[in-house]
Amino acid sequence: MPDRYRIPPELFIVAFGFILLAVCLVVGIAFRNEALPVRAETLPVDMAQLPNNAACLSCHMVEDQIKEFPNGDVISVVIAPEMYGLSAHATLSCQVCHTNISGYPHPENLAQSSREYTLQFQNTCNQCHPSQASELMDSVHTRLMAEGNLDAPICADCHNPHQQPKIAKDEQGRLSPAEHAQSAMVCGQCHSTIYDEYARSVHGSGVLEDKNPDVPSCIDCHGVHNVSGPSGGAAFRLSSPKICADCHTNEQIMSKYGLSTQVLQTYVADFHGTTVTLFEKLDPDQQINMPVCYDCHGVHDIRRSDDPEKGLQVKQNLLAACQKCHPDATENFPDAWLSHYIPDRNRYPLVYWVNEFYKYFIPTVLGGMGLFVVSDIYRRWVLDRRRKNAKSVEGAEDQMSATEETSKDIETEEQAEQADTQFSDEKPQDEENS
Amino acid sequence: MSENQKSYTRFSLAQRIEHIVLIASFTTLAVTGLVQKFAQSSISISVIAALGGIEMTRIIHRTASIVFLLQAIYHLVAIGYKLYVQRKEASMLPGFKDLQDAFQHFLYNLGLRKERPKMDRYNFVEKAEYWAMVWGLVLMALTGFMMWNPIATARVLPGQAIPAAKVAHGAEAILAVLAIFIWHFYHVHLRTFNKSMFTGKLTRHEMEEEHALELEKIEKGLLPPPPSPEELRRRKRIYYPVAAVLSLVLLFFVYRFVTFEETAITTISPVSARADSVFVPQTPTPLPTRPPTATPAPTQEGQLFEGPLSWNNAIGQIIAQRCGSCHGAMGGLALTTYQSALNGGRSGAAIVAGDVEQSLLVTVVRDGIHPGKFEPQELELIVRWIEEGAPE
Repeated sequence: MPDRYRIPPELFIVAFGFILLAVCLVVGIAFRNEALPVRAETLPVDMAQLPNNAACLSCHMVEDQIKEFPNGDVISVVIAPEMYGLSAHATLSCQVCHTNISGYPHPENLAQSSREYTLQFQNTCNQCHPSQASELMDSVHTRLMAEGNLDAPICADCHNPHQQPKIAKDEQGRLSPAEHAQSAMVCGQCHSTIYDEYARSVHGSGVLEDKNPDVPSCIDCHGVHNVSGPSGGAAFRLSSPKICADCHTNEQIMSKYGLSTQVLQTYVADFHGTTVTLFEKLDPDQQINMPVCYDCHGVHDIRRSDDPEKGLQVKQNLLAACQKCHPDATENFPDAWLSHYIPDRNRYPLVYWVNEFYKYFIPTVLGGMGLFVVSDIYRRWVLDRRRKNAKSVEGAEDQMSATEETSKDIETEEQAEQADTQFSDEKPQDEENS
Repeated sequence: MSENQKSYTRFSLAQRIEHIVLIASFTTLAVTGLVQKFAQSSISISVIAALGGIEMTRIIHRTASIVFLLQAIYHLVAIGYKLYVQRKEASMLPGFKDLQDAFQHFLYNLGLRKERPKMDRYNFVEKAEYWAMVWGLVLMALTGFMMWNPIATARVLPGQAIPAAKVAHGAEAILAVLAIFIWHFYHVHLRTFNKSMFTGKLTRHEMEEEHALELEKIEKGLLPPPPSPEELRRRKRIYYPVAAVLSLVLLFFVYRFVTFEETAITTISPVSARADSVFVPQTPTPLPTRPPTATPAPTQEGQLFEGPLSWNNAIGQIIAQRCGSCHGAMGGLALTTYQSALNGGRSGAAIVAGDVEQSLLVTVVRDGIHPGKFEPQELELIVRWIEEGAPE
């Protein structure tokens, strides 16, 4: 068997390489937390043992009662029965939460301020709402509280326990439009500057004015009980495009407003998006300076893309966005970013035509090469072999190689001469040229 | 037979080393480049992770591109030496014969010609590959420069030239890698394992098949004789300074290629959280201001206080008004009727006739811990009533 029919050694190397590559393929599995219902799961006390609320209300419904704290804080201790009666807790005895009060006079309360008084109830809700409480444990709010920031909210700061009605949701668990808007206002109690920005944004006006449930309220991006601080880690930043994409790739929602759903795909295809996505997958806690959606579009103050003041469809605004990170960028530079468009004949035609060119150029070149290679294989593995077999049948006793050599020589003598004369015309020319 | 085993020197050691460097840099560029082009595929992600992340992958890619460029400069200088100093034939230049050879070889493959064309030192297969490589190098260097220095590029060209460069760079990479697989691997590894790039030698049989014309020239002594030593020395004296200047200029270009601009924003810190505090509570809603206390009805008291004090005369009315809202039952105390009032509550007697200090109705309210209060005049009347024996 001649050398050339033996399996070349690097076939083994290539095969080994492929096996190695296959072994290298590790796919991570993302775990998901199941959403938990906001509903009291257990009632830790026997209501029959507790006094009727009428007893408490007979005093506390009287208007105009206050409690003063040593630091001068004053709080109202009035419970409006009609308000309490509409709350989710209407059927609960006051003593379920106010466990230390069983009669009058009430035991002395050592709270020095109204805040201290509220914080006495920090663990009160856990007894009936353990899953929300455990979600809360992961939140930036609980972390801040643990760090000693007493301004950080506890349950009662967002859900007034005497007034909090049952939260209205539809079958899919989505908040009713009014609740949805209300949720933003709750956050606004402590984050008022952000709330003011948000209220003027395209999202905020949609939620607060139009009561449109398609538009995100604070909790849609930040989460509710397990809210994480965007300023806290790089992880929020790196994963933030997913938050935006959640709605902005949803054809059902976006089609209502004529918005493109290609925004994520085009972002990820670009240098910035590729980098961010890869960091998010491989090194999620790394702080990097590549822009995510909100670095260009704004966060709480996000406007329509055609907003004259901030919209990125306005070229000057886009340039300003580029210059935040590329201070030397000039007028042409923003066009290096395809503005979430897929290039076509009219938009970014240069990119489109280069793409088109290669769409035909690559198959043409490779096809030509492939055609020749296939023809060569045909010559070697079909024609040459067929001829060799024919010869070996004819002169079985002759040595194979010798037969081949000689027969070839005889067979092709004429042709070879022809070829020689043909080429000899050009040979000198070639040499002269060189 | 001995004639068949004779070997012919094809590549010098320097050329072979050059080829190994080329394999290394090309493969590195291909791997680190393709994983960037197909960055979302799971294979790419594993490779990028193995290389130490996307930033490291990019650094490796750029380093390999510099090696590639440096090698191109070396190659240029080496070719200059061969052509000018050694006066060798420019055997890699493509010509019409190559087209003819390709066509005839194709016909031969199909069995439409009896003999394969006789080819010179570099046949059309090799020329195609070499010039594709040169074309690729120029295009990749230009588009690579644009992506490496986008701000400088946008000063001269329209901005969309940069994404266009990216498209071309990626497409050209696909073309180059697949061409290597289809063309190069087939011709020098699969069809036959051509070891000349590693051993430097070709056998006579291989020469006959691929470079018959060169073989003929060698055997007929048609190759130009090497120049005389004096001639060599004279040409070297001219060539060396020229080559030195040329390579310095080219090296300077490579240096500028790398350092032209800093697009990686080293000076700007990562965009992070807002500078101002996120905790800005709204001004708290003030407590409902105490409505002015209704002036107790002194007229009523004046009117009612006729005759001796008793539950039915004034006292019962005062108690109903001040205590009634809670002490229908609270604390076990019902101040609704004279009798129930005298019964007292859980804490004890509310009213002890004749003994004010034992009457909780007075002490609890007077000493200030009770939420409800009497007006001072009312308290005075109640005290007097108890002292008088608290009549009904």
